[in-house]
Amino acid sequence: MSQLNEMPNPFAAEGPSDQRAKDTSVVESVIVPLWRQRLRIFLQNKLAIGSVIYLVIVVLFCYLGPIIWHFNETNQAAALFSTTNAPPSLHHILGTDGSGFDEFGRIMYGGEYSLSLGMLAGVITIVVGTIYGMISGFIGGVVDSTLMRILDAFLSIPIIFLLLTLITIFPRTSTSLIIIIGIIGWFGNARIIRGDALVIKELEYSQASRAMGAGWWHIIRRHVFPNSVSNIVTVATFAVADAILFLTTLGYLGLGIPAPATDWGTMLNNAAGVQPFYWWQVYPLAAFFILVIVAITYIGEALRDAFEVRLLER
Amino acid sequence: MLAYLIRRLLQSFVVFLIVMLITFALPYFEPGGILAPAYIALGTHANAQTVHQWGMQNGIFHPFFIRFWNYLLQVCVHFNLGFSWKNNMSVWSIISLYVPRTIWLALLAFILTLVIALPIGVLQASKRNSVFDYSMTNFLFVLYGIPAFLLSLLMIDWFIFGTLHLQLPPSDGSALQVFTNPVPFIVPIVTLAILNLAFFSRFMRSAVLDVLVQDYVRTAKAKGASQRRILFKHAFRNALGPIITIIGLSIPGLFGGALIIEEVFNYQGVGYETVYAAQYKDIPTVLGITLLITVFTLLGNLLADIGLGVVNPRIRVEGK
Repeated sequence: MSQLNEMPNPFAAEGPSDQRAKDTSVVESVIVPLWRQRLRIFLQNKLAIGSVIYLVIVVLFCYLGPIIWHFNETNQAAALFSTTNAPPSLHHILGTDGSGFDEFGRIMYGGEYSLSLGMLAGVITIVVGTIYGMISGFIGGVVDSTLMRILDAFLSIPIIFLLLTLITIFPRTSTSLIIIIGIIGWFGNARIIRGDALVIKELEYSQASRAMGAGWWHIIRRHVFPNSVSNIVTVATFAVADAILFLTTLGYLGLGIPAPATDWGTMLNNAAGVQPFYWWQVYPLAAFFILVIVAITYIGEALRDAFEVRLLER
Repeated sequence: MLAYLIRRLLQSFVVFLIVMLITFALPYFEPGGILAPAYIALGTHANAQTVHQWGMQNGIFHPFFIRFWNYLLQVCVHFNLGFSWKNNMSVWSIISLYVPRTIWLALLAFILTLVIALPIGVLQASKRNSVFDYSMTNFLFVLYGIPAFLLSLLMIDWFIFGTLHLQLPPSDGSALQVFTNPVPFIVPIVTLAILNLAFFSRFMRSAVLDVLVQDYVRTAKAKGASQRRILFKHAFRNALGPIITIIGLSIPGLFGGALIIEEVFNYQGVGYETVYAAQYKDIPTVLGITLLITVFTLLGNLLADIGLGVVNPRIRVEGK
């Protein structure tokens, strides 16, 4: 979705990664609760821990930073009187941007929007995708093929066309940006979840439950959903990364958060869109941003490993 | 096989109809409704009378389903996509002008991507857990995290305004300029290829990893086949199956990926034209391009399935 195409995330579709624990074959006599086994596998992945730490730092930086670092990142009147495109100095450690805002403070301020919007939009895509996929996969038959053909249709429409129509329908606020990314992003997720539901409802435990007279809601609640939760969590992680990336693309198309507020995509576009650009406006933010995406992707990989049944101790 | 093909074709046609229904209905939801394009098409000449007249001419005032039925007949029976509301051209001539430009750009980039990505994937899988594997994985993660527009802007800055002083591709003209005057196309094609690199090499890596644990690879190894022969003869060919599916599925993505490149490089291709048409509410053009891309997508899915049968004869038998 990030690059305006609706392909499955290449990192989501893989088998267990190789950064798996090497000593998981050790048999323990004490029965360890499932969640602690999973937590242990997750914690054995050094990259994932680093990613979590990095994300925590980023979140603290964006949300608590403005309290400490108080320059004119939002004050337009102050920006009017400061030098535009000033190089890094002691006063502005990352210089100022094209409007005279302090770049360092602006990164925090834009990050608040990018992170929260990406997070919420990612959650929406996963909730909608899960409901749609569960219904389709669980009911099966005509309903499944109808819902899947509709999904195929949505996947074949160029996203930009959907986007430009949706943008004219909704007013330009952060809420509607969340809704728009939510509407556009759930197709791929629905397909993955549907595949899960399709398999799990036919497994022996679901069959047994059905044979004992369990209703469809019981089977979904007790069997299908808990057993696909691993995939849902993993897909959700990648969905958040994709939503943040998609938000930057919107920023490039001029459809991001309206000024004077900003997000990372709009900032990057404003900075890199002028030739020649000023390095302090592009490279620090770009590195910061790309590492956020990379960190989320690493966490997604580690989560998938943690949920992988084959890696559990037995 | 034939029955399977016919069923797939029918399914594709149903999807095509759903796409048509959705895209046809979307303009009704815009503020100003279905008459909003009239004000853009007429510009300063818009008043109550001319708007009404314009609506009559274009059959706007018919009920939705009558309009949809007429459009359906027009497209599916007469293969006529209508006339643009903005440009003085038929939609077919717009398509024949812009689509080849995107196809050549995307196709060359795609070939470049595969030429680089597939060997990287195979090498990564064969040297699994090595330093090369890890560093390549990290590098690809970073590539995946770069927004398309940022990479394009930086490439322009580095190679066109920066050191090499390469030219920008001409913004319009014949699609065959890629061959007559290839130098300005290097930067956009390389950029597009880099953007798709992570995707394909990741898939190739996991596909080869899945193949390398199979029995026939062990047999080949036991027979004493060389590492290179195992990798490129046994593993590569068997790993091609999933890759062909992915290639087929990524055809609409090629257009989507090219869109940002076209915007940044000011290269008038189909993505550029879609954005332009959508901004000016030129609905026949947007509908025509959407339907065309849908047909490409559906054909891609179909070809992926057929191609899978060519590479893997077992599926052909099961498909009967």
